[in-house]
Amino acid sequence: MMLLKKGMSALFALCATFGVAHAEDWKPRHVVNVIVHTGPGAGADAFARAVINVIEQEKLSTARFVVVNKTGGGSTNAINYLASKEGDDNTLGVYASNWTTDYLVQKDATTSLQSLTPIANMIFEPALIMVRADSKFKSLKDFIDAAKAEPNKLKQAGGTPLGRDAMLRHILVASTGAQWPLVSFPSGGERLSAILGGHVDTLVMDGSEVGDFLSSGKLRALAQVSDEKVPTFPADVPTVREAGYDIRIPLQPRGIVAPPKMSPEAADYYRKLFAKAVETPAWKKYVEDTRVQTNFIAGDDLASFFGTVADNTRAALKSADIPVLR
Amino acid sequence: MDVIYGLAHGFSVALLPANLLWCFVGCFLGTIIGIIPGLGPAATIAILLPVTYNMDPTGGIIMLCGIYYGAKYGGSTTSILLKMPGEASSVISCLDGYEMARKGRPGQALGIAAISSFVAGTVGVILLSFLAPPIAEFALSFSSPEYFALMLMGLALVVLLAGDDILKTILSLLLGLWLASIGTDLFTAQPRFTFGQTSLLDGIDFMSLAIGVFAISEILMSISAREKVRLVTIPKGLRNLLPSREELRACRFAFFNGSITGFIIGVLPGAGSTISSFVSYGIEKAVSRHPEKFGTGVPEGLAAPEGANNADTGGALLPVLTLGIPGGSSTAILMSALVLWGVRPGPLLMTEQPDIFWGLVASMYVGNIVLLIMNLPLVGLFTQILRIPLYVLFPIIIGVSIAGAYSTSGSMFDIGLLIAFGLLGYGMQQLRFPAGPLILGFVLGDAMERALRQSLTMSNGDPLILVDRPISAILLALAALILVSPLLGRLRRRNTVQAS
Repeated sequence: MMLLKKGMSALFALCATFGVAHAEDWKPRHVVNVIVHTGPGAGADAFARAVINVIEQEKLSTARFVVVNKTGGGSTNAINYLASKEGDDNTLGVYASNWTTDYLVQKDATTSLQSLTPIANMIFEPALIMVRADSKFKSLKDFIDAAKAEPNKLKQAGGTPLGRDAMLRHILVASTGAQWPLVSFPSGGERLSAILGGHVDTLVMDGSEVGDFLSSGKLRALAQVSDEKVPTFPADVPTVREAGYDIRIPLQPRGIVAPPKMSPEAADYYRKLFAKAVETPAWKKYVEDTRVQTNFIAGDDLASFFGTVADNTRAALKSADIPVLR
Repeated sequence: MDVIYGLAHGFSVALLPANLLWCFVGCFLGTIIGIIPGLGPAATIAILLPVTYNMDPTGGIIMLCGIYYGAKYGGSTTSILLKMPGEASSVISCLDGYEMARKGRPGQALGIAAISSFVAGTVGVILLSFLAPPIAEFALSFSSPEYFALMLMGLALVVLLAGDDILKTILSLLLGLWLASIGTDLFTAQPRFTFGQTSLLDGIDFMSLAIGVFAISEILMSISAREKVRLVTIPKGLRNLLPSREELRACRFAFFNGSITGFIIGVLPGAGSTISSFVSYGIEKAVSRHPEKFGTGVPEGLAAPEGANNADTGGALLPVLTLGIPGGSSTAILMSALVLWGVRPGPLLMTEQPDIFWGLVASMYVGNIVLLIMNLPLVGLFTQILRIPLYVLFPIIIGVSIAGAYSTSGSMFDIGLLIAFGLLGYGMQQLRFPAGPLILGFVLGDAMERALRQSLTMSNGDPLILVDRPISAILLALAALILVSPLLGRLRRRNTVQAS
C-alpha cells in the first residue's frame, strides 16, 4: 500500500509539472498477468516463464509478471479470456500456432488472433524431420519415394492433426503424391518412444525437444523444417527446400499479444520491453539452450504477419480435407 | 562393478549437507502438496522452477524430485481419513483405506500407507539403479497394441472389482468409459459430447470426478443417514496407532506386488501412476484368498496401490534419465528443468554427468527414509483430524474440495461438475451401484481407446496387429484368463460340493 501511495503521489506530482504524462512515461504499475493456454510445464507455459525469467534476470521492468494458465479447448479459453479483457493495460497473452488454427476449425473459438492487439513475435521454433539412426532412409527423398511406392506403409508419429508437424505432412503429401498416415500420441514422450522402439518410421521434432538424441546416435535428421539453416542444428542436414521439396514451410511462431483496444502508450511500452529483452545475454543463452530462433516482429508488421499465417494455415488445412469454418 | 561405484559416488554427493537439506525441503513440500487436493506435483514443480534457476543443478533436481515422490506419500492421507483423494494416484486408496479408518484403525491405515510407500519406493529406486539400461530397452518394445492389451487386462480386473451385482458393475463401468470420451478427440480434433461447452473441450478433470464421487457423496450419505454415526474412538499413544504385526504380514505380497507392478507400469510412457495403482489393486484382489473382503478395509487393498504409486517414481524417472523420454506431466517438467540448467537428459547423462545421475538416484534412497521418518510420527497428528466434530469437518472438506477443483483449471464450471458428481455418487450409493468401476473406466477408457486407434492406424485397419505381437498376445490371454477365472473357481466349488 505504501508503495502504491508513493507511486500515486509521484504520478500526481508529475502530472502537475507537465500537465499530462508523456507517452514514454507509461509503466505497468502492479502485476501484469500473462495468459497461456497450456498447463504448467507445457510448451507455451515454459516459453512464458522463460521470457519472464529474462525480464527479471536483466531487471528490465519493475512490474511483476505472473503466468495465468487458462486451459481448455486448445487455445480457445485463453484467447476468449483475452478478448474479454478489452482495454486492459495489465494483461498479456502468449500465442502459438494453434491460436490461428483453432479459430479456423473450432466452432467455439470465436476470437481471431488478428482481433487482438499485436505486441511482438519473439521466436520461430524450427524443427527436424527425424528417423531412427539405423533407418534405411538416408534423405528426405528416400523416405518420400518409398511412401510413394508403397502408400500407407510408412508411419509418422504426431499429436493432433492440427499441429505443425501434421501440417508439414499434409503439405508434403499434397505436393508429392506420397501417402503415409499420422499416428496421434498425446505427449512428446510417447511419440519418442514410438520412434525409438521402431513402431513408427518418422517424426517431426521441435528444436527444443532434440536434446542429445542426435549426438548420442539414437536418431538421425533428414531435413531441417525452416526457411533458412538453423545455426544450432547440424550443418550437413539440408532444409526441406534444399532437399528438393519447394514447399511453404509451416511456421511455429511464439510471441506476445494483448487484449483488444489496449492503450497505445501501454502497447508501445511492452513492444519496447520485449525488443530490449531479445538483445540481452540471458535471452541469447535461452535461444541457444533450447535451439529456437529469435524472430522479432512488432507493430503493423506483426498484424500483417498474423494475416499471412492465417491464410497459409487455411490453405494447408484445406489440402488435408480438414473442414475450415472461417 | 560400475553400479556400486556409481552409487558410492552418488551417496557422496547426496549426503553433502546442502543436498541433504534440499532433499528434505523437497520431501516436505511434496508431502504438503500431496495432502492438499488440487495443487499437484506437476504444477508445484513448474511454479518453483524459476526459484531453482540459479541453484546448483544437482541440488535443484534433488529438491524437485523430492516434491514429485513426496506428493505420492502425502496423497493417501486424506484418502484414508476423509475419502478425499489428495492426488490422482491415491484415488483407489479411498476404497480400503477409508474403510479401515471407519473401522477405528485410521492410524494403522496411515502407517501401512507410509510403510508400503517406503518399501516399494525403495525397491523402485533399487531397480532404477541396477537395471536402468536393459529395462529402458524393454520399455521401448511396448507400443500401442501392448498398451491396448494392458488396458483391457485392467478392465478385466474390474469384473473382479465387482461386488455381487455384475450388471450394476458393468453399467457403472460404461458410465466411466463414456465420461472419459468427453472432450476434443485427439485423432480428428473434433469435440465429442461437449454440448457447446468450451469448458468441456479438454474433457472432464479426473480430480473433480474422484472427489465428487467419493468425498462429496460420502458427506451427503452421512448427512442423510438417520442415526448420526460418529467415527469410532481412536486409541491413544503412537504405539497403538501403528499397524500390528499381523496386518503387516497380511501385506507381504502387496508390498511385492505394488513394487513390481508400479515399477513396470511406471517405466511405460503414457501409462502413469494412477493406472499402476489401479492395476496393482486388481492383481492383489485377483490373487487374494478372500477377494470378497476387498473394499471393506483390508490392509493389503491399501498397501498394494500405495506401494505401486511410489515404485512408479523410480520407473517413471528411468526413461527420462536414460533415454530423455518423459512419460507424464511431472517428469516432463523435471526434464525441462534439467534442460534449463544446461543438463541434457539421455543416454549420455550417466557417464557424462555422474554427479547428477547418481546424486539424484542416491538422494532418492535418502528421500524415502526421510519421508518414512517424517510421516510415521505425523500419523498421531493426522488422526486427530477425526476428532473434529462433523459440523466443523464437513464444511472444511467441501471448502477444500471446491478450492481444489477450481485451482486445477481456474474455472467455475469445474465446481459445478464437482457438485454434479457428488450428487451422482450419492445417487449411486443409494441405489447400491459400485463407484470403483466408474472411476476405473474413466482412468483406463481414454488411454485404451487411444491405444486401439493407434494400433489400427499402424496396421491400416487390420485387427490382427493385436495378436501378432508376442507381448500383446500374452497380455490379451491374461485378460481372457482373468475373465474366466471366477467362473472356473465357481465350477470347481460346485464340483467339490457334489463330490462330497
